[in-house]
Amino acid sequence: MFKRKAKKPKEATYREVWQHGDLATKLSFFIMGFAQLKNKQWVKGLSFLITEVVFLIWMVFSGVSALSMLTTLGTIKHKQVVFDKTQGVYITKMPDNSVVILLFGVLAVILVIAMIGLYVANLRSVRHLYALKRDGEHVPTNGEDLASLLDKKLYGTLLAIPIAGVVAFTILPTVYMISMAFTNYDSKHPIGFSWTGFAAFKNVLSGDLAGTFFPVLGWTLVWAICATATTFFFGVLLAMLIESKGIKHKGFWRTIFVIVYAVPQFISLLMMAQFLDLQGPLNTLLLNWGWIAHPINFISASANPMVARITVIIVNMWIGVPVSMLVSTAIIQNLPQDQIEAARIDGANAFQIFRSVTFPQILFVMAPALIQQFIGNINNFNVIFLLTGGYPMNNNYNGAGDTDLLVTWLYNLVFGQTQRYNASAVLGILIFIISATVSLIAYRRTNAFKEG
Amino acid sequence: MKSYTAQRRLSLILRYILLVILAIVWIFPIVWIVLASFSYNDTGFVSTIIPNKFTLQNYIGIFTSKQFPFVNWILNTTFVSVVSATLSTLVTICVAYVLSRLRFRMRKPFLQIALVLGMFPGFMSMIALYYILKSFNMLNLFGLILVYVGGAGLGFYVAKGFFDTIPTAIDEAAEMDGATQWQTFIHIGLPMSRPIIVYTALMAFIGPWIDFIFSGIILSSSGNAKSYTIAYGLYNMVHATKGTSTMYFTQFIAGCVIIAIPITVLFVIMQKFYVNGITAGADKG
Amino acid sequence: MKLIKKIALGSSAVIAMTLLAACGKSSSSSDTSSKKVSGDVKLWVDTTQVSYYKTIVKNFNKKYPDVNVKVTQSPNGSANAKTDVGKDPAKAADVFEVPNDQLGSMADQGYINPLSPDATKTVKSDNVATSVKGVTWKNQMYGYPFAEQAQTLYYNKSKLSAEDVKSWDTLTSKATLATDFTNAYNFYPIFFSAGTNLYGKNGETLKGTNVANQKGINALTWLAQQKSNKNVMQTSNTLNQLKSGNAAATIDGPWNTANIKKILGKNFGVAKYPTIKVGGKNVQMKAFLGIEAFAVNSHTPTKDQKAASTLAQFITNKQSQLIVYKQSGQIPVDKSAQKSSTVANDKAAQAIMTMAKPENSVLMPKMSQMATFWNLSAPLLNGSYTGSIKASDYSAKLKTFQDAISKKN
Repeated sequence: MFKRKAKKPKEATYREVWQHGDLATKLSFFIMGFAQLKNKQWVKGLSFLITEVVFLIWMVFSGVSALSMLTTLGTIKHKQVVFDKTQGVYITKMPDNSVVILLFGVLAVILVIAMIGLYVANLRSVRHLYALKRDGEHVPTNGEDLASLLDKKLYGTLLAIPIAGVVAFTILPTVYMISMAFTNYDSKHPIGFSWTGFAAFKNVLSGDLAGTFFPVLGWTLVWAICATATTFFFGVLLAMLIESKGIKHKGFWRTIFVIVYAVPQFISLLMMAQFLDLQGPLNTLLLNWGWIAHPINFISASANPMVARITVIIVNMWIGVPVSMLVSTAIIQNLPQDQIEAARIDGANAFQIFRSVTFPQILFVMAPALIQQFIGNINNFNVIFLLTGGYPMNNNYNGAGDTDLLVTWLYNLVFGQTQRYNASAVLGILIFIISATVSLIAYRRTNAFKEG
Repeated sequence: MKSYTAQRRLSLILRYILLVILAIVWIFPIVWIVLASFSYNDTGFVSTIIPNKFTLQNYIGIFTSKQFPFVNWILNTTFVSVVSATLSTLVTICVAYVLSRLRFRMRKPFLQIALVLGMFPGFMSMIALYYILKSFNMLNLFGLILVYVGGAGLGFYVAKGFFDTIPTAIDEAAEMDGATQWQTFIHIGLPMSRPIIVYTALMAFIGPWIDFIFSGIILSSSGNAKSYTIAYGLYNMVHATKGTSTMYFTQFIAGCVIIAIPITVLFVIMQKFYVNGITAGADKG
Repeated sequence: MKLIKKIALGSSAVIAMTLLAACGKSSSSSDTSSKKVSGDVKLWVDTTQVSYYKTIVKNFNKKYPDVNVKVTQSPNGSANAKTDVGKDPAKAADVFEVPNDQLGSMADQGYINPLSPDATKTVKSDNVATSVKGVTWKNQMYGYPFAEQAQTLYYNKSKLSAEDVKSWDTLTSKATLATDFTNAYNFYPIFFSAGTNLYGKNGETLKGTNVANQKGINALTWLAQQKSNKNVMQTSNTLNQLKSGNAAATIDGPWNTANIKKILGKNFGVAKYPTIKVGGKNVQMKAFLGIEAFAVNSHTPTKDQKAASTLAQFITNKQSQLIVYKQSGQIPVDKSAQKSSTVANDKAAQAIMTMAKPENSVLMPKMSQMATFWNLSAPLLNGSYTGSIKASDYSAKLKTFQDAISKKN
């Protein structure tokens, strides 16, 4: 990209700044914003200074204690029931609330890291000022500084609020959850818990949950592959069908299919579950027509696991195909026609053209989106939770059923009977590792494919 | 031997037949849901295609229900949707624009971190989010908006893909004319990104109408049904009580149909934008 | 957790009816402290119970005008009290409804306070012994019982006579019985009929489960036999089958009495469970007995504790129990309430009270291991019923199950 050329003074080293800088510069190493203030950069200087003061006050009053509590997650681990004579009732003295301690500890760590970043920024700014003055360059004024926020530093201005949001609502919770995996936070230690290292990982990978984890993991991967592949492939076929010559009112046909996708899933899937029930309308209909002798057990708790899994994939197509049909339509309409024409002149039939020209082109455009979809399907909570609730039951599993994905099992571990929060955090981390590995491999492959 | 046109006609007829069959298969369950919402039923289970007894009572019931303040739910959800769609769009467009059109030192790391964070299952953060909001005393609709908007900073892929397709020559020309980056963003970037703004807003608007998990976790503690959003309210209606859900089940379907209609219509009207959004994002990933 | 399949285990369920007119005069409760009770208390009840609990609270305020009570609906119903309270005890209500099988783990986790000696005395003297036992954990009471729940047999009188429903085999030879084998609450008690214990005779002994033997195998064998019985229908929606006439009988609990009455109309019949043939012997088919109770949140500030426990005691006294019974068909546990004329003339209530007797039902244990029990028992029962667990695997499966639920976790 074309960049505006700005004459950049040669930067100094910090050592030089420290040795040759004036008093204000030296002080800036301890009191942020000093050098800027001296150079009349009031806004910059004051923001540095005030931030540091606020940070130090927070450190003294709560930061230090938050960080030190983080090591133990609270000292009182057990409740005590005492009789309160004045009220004439029993009172329970609670253990320290580790959840809150952990959360604020993580927050404190993040704040300290942010402060270190700011300190580095301050040093850079001091060094830059020093170099400017050393070389007799123009030192930016307040106004210029502020103006640059809308020009060269626009990225900072526009990103400030989103980054704050991401830190508060994504990074902080994620770090918190990762740390939860290393504790004994479960139904036995619901309020006061402690660090237990990799014990929870051991439970999942070789302990009482291993017999559930590996089969569920296997099904999760199978599901993600099948769900992604079927919706994509049939979506393309449907798009080709609607786009084919002679079909009128293309928009109308597309809309019919899109309606299914647009209906909120928690209604369409919940009702689909009834639709497919043993005594549901579909079975009733098929029985009345005499197509089947006994009702088919599609997805109930006592269904055959294989039948249920196939049903889930088919119902997912019902929801997913319209979307990929829409997207494929857009791609098909923009496909370069020359190759297709060339193939046609060579005497290829429609099927051959589709197989060797159209489909690869669509695949090429869609590859990144397909990887995204695959990750999305690994974490496809809605379809499983609302349609089958993890059923059919499996007597070899612990707290999961035959169609449960890792993510719905994670949900059950948190909100179900057993409340194993730490195990659910472990699952979350493992899901992340799986998703990351898969996408890394896939992106590499597609890049090679694109370059090759 | 069949003539070429006859063959063409036959193929067209066959394709039409296939299309009609597929369309019926797809739309049939939806039609059934709508029919069920007009049926009289007190067993909590609909086992027939055509209702045994037609009634409008479900629709009347849901709007006049003492226990389930349906109208409040709709108003709450509308409020949350509008606010969070506005803010989310703003956030997403800002992030996408910056990452696509501007060059700065932290750009690559930011993209990588965003990619990594996006791979943690969202459910993992539920407990933490609850306590974060609790400490700010925000276990209400505003807190819910914060959660929806807070995540918007990471949902920039589609919009970024769109911005990537706009040639950079435009920006450079503006720069030559002495425009600041801010002016370029306001006068060139934003007007050109109308389709993607519509797409992002549409997605963000629909979110609150269908999310029953986060809304449940954040709003349920209040115990005040008037503060629920529609998705959680309806979900709670059939899940919170045993034995009674059977009485409200058809009302629940009616409620679902009522909210499905605007969302469906919205989506169908906007499908063009939706496609543009997805394919823009798919171009470069 | 399917829409209709979801089983709120041991949950109370309530049929909301029209708003209740104001009740009779308040009975005198045995509040011994002469001190004025005051404070702010939040009460959680199920969504559909809010209206009549507001009435009950009105009565309460006549007696204790200085207590400010806020009645709200609980997030996910009393069946999920454990998780709702566990999510954030500080935000949970001061007084909430809880089924007794969750009392043990909640007490261990420190979410609820034991009853004061005074309250213990009153509750003990007023209510039937099983209900007291149902809320007692490690020799202390943790809840104020107000209703008992045991499943019983509902049938269509036009298709089955009172004589037919005395034995499972006779019943299913004459008409279809619809039920759900995926629900452990329905069918685990077959193990009791077969002569085994769950957590010992008292329901509090960790190693007291003895199903990994011939008796356990007999129970599973009985379940497997039901699959081949043409007149036993597996369904997730029994009410619908009763209504459509596909089935003439079902087993269900007090929460559905009103629904079934509506469906069957004048053909509504109710009886205690039939006898079944397990291991070659005719034995009484048993049910789980659940006690619904109100408990006091231990996170309630000390100054409001007295008010909270006073409220909990009042909303479970005889007068309140009768209001709840009238509104929702929940069977009272107060000794004199059980003898009152309305309850005595209610066939369904009588059947459920018969089922609550020790020879017909087993009190749900309160162990914290019950969480594991519910998770593991349903697939075991269902697997035997569908035949996915073969008879040759029974003893191994039972051993695994018994070991898993007897772990100290």
